Amino acid sequence: MSILNKLKLDKLKKITHREPEIRDFCIQTIRFKKFLENARAMLDLIEDGREKALGEYIFDRHYVVSLIDSVIERLGMMVYDACVLAPQSGVELYAGYDRHKLAAANLISGKSPAGKTGASETVTLTEPEYQLLSDALFWLNGKDRADAETVMAFMKQVFFHVIQGIEPTDAAKNRLLFDTSNVKATDMNFYIIDLWKDALAPPEKKRTARGFNCVPLKHLLMDADCGESKTGTGNSSSDPDWVAAVTEYQLSLNSLKPDLEFRLETLASGDAQSDFIFIFAGKSTNLDSLLPAGFHIEKAHYGQLAWDLDLSAKTIEDSLMNIGRGLFG
Amino acid sequence: MSEQPLKIMVIDDENIVGKRLKPALEKTGDMVEAFEDGEKALARFNEEPFDIVVTDIRMDKIDGIEILEKVLAISGRTKVIIITGYATIEIAREALSKGAFEFIAKPFKPSDLRMIIERASKELRS
Repeated sequence: MSILNKLKLDKLKKITHREPEIRDFCIQTIRFKKFLENARAMLDLIEDGREKALGEYIFDRHYVVSLIDSVIERLGMMVYDACVLAPQSGVELYAGYDRHKLAAANLISGKSPAGKTGASETVTLTEPEYQLLSDALFWLNGKDRADAETVMAFMKQVFFHVIQGIEPTDAAKNRLLFDTSNVKATDMNFYIIDLWKDALAPPEKKRTARGFNCVPLKHLLMDADCGESKTGTGNSSSDPDWVAAVTEYQLSLNSLKPDLEFRLETLASGDAQSDFIFIFAGKSTNLDSLLPAGFHIEKAHYGQLAWDLDLSAKTIEDSLMNIGRGLFG
Repeated sequence: MSEQPLKIMVIDDENIVGKRLKPALEKTGDMVEAFEDGEKALARFNEEPFDIVVTDIRMDKIDGIEILEKVLAISGRTKVIIITGYATIEIAREALSKGAFEFIAKPFKPSDLRMIIERASKELRS
């Protein structure tokens, strides 16, 4: 999160106004974005380690120890965000985090290499630095490792707690809140919320979704039917089934339908290094047909996580248009 | 007419660096000697100057800056390339101001270092 956004978030927390729930919704959305930023940083760290392990790079023990330390630091940030979003899961998540801190410390000290337990896929390397990196990668996402022991598996658990914590309980409450505010779009069957402005003061009159200066929303709605969505409830006079929280370059799109679990988060700033699309969907949603090629899809017992990172402006535009067509026709 | 092979000295107290770099740099026919001990490396340099010295910046006995200064005092034409970790890039920049030819951050690919060595080689032969 940028310093500017952090200052804005702190300011929002302090301000009291006549619709505190809109502010709470915005803060929760921003916190979820922060959670995703940390998750993304974790994936980057794992990818960096994998790349270095391919054998072309010269590195020393300091690199591997720094990698392990960075993973633990980021994992701690993810767990902190998760506990803010789903406080009821705090004890369980911090217990899991402590186990990984211990595993990391053991890896570094060489006491009980966390990567070696049942490590049938690892080979014994003659150089200790390469062995340590191999063990670290096995701890991070070893395929033969008991699934619950890897950092990646723990990240999926953390996601599960966050999704469970914020989705079911808030959908009905949010709908009630949005209905009493001026956030229903006049041109689409959407609730639409300006993440920063509406948190400070709810809108005085209703607005159009297409009138918002939000780059990813424009891409998403490029080919969409303005009246209704395929997965929505019908004409624009009915209750909206979607809420879009927006800034100029960010979009958080959530389904409010009880039988459709779907959440899309995206940043489309034009900076390929930081732009991304993340989706959480229930198990019944066919993501393979909805998403264009290039997405990484992880299936878990509670649903599906999908993401595409490091996207060029053209790719993100095409992907969002594709998804918009799939969702809204 | 083929060019004379370069004489390259690699200094890093992490054994793995010399062990991996030596065969990688020798592939192009250059002569490479690797040292984990900076003092021993300097003693060897005193016997016979090298064209290129590739040295880590942070080492226990003697650091890369001191090696840079001593090498350039003995042989002003030698090109010194500094290897640095993420945390020491600022110090590496300082090394440039003291006459280092270039620096490279760990982790790196031998091919990245090879490109720097080729530039250094051109300067040496110009």
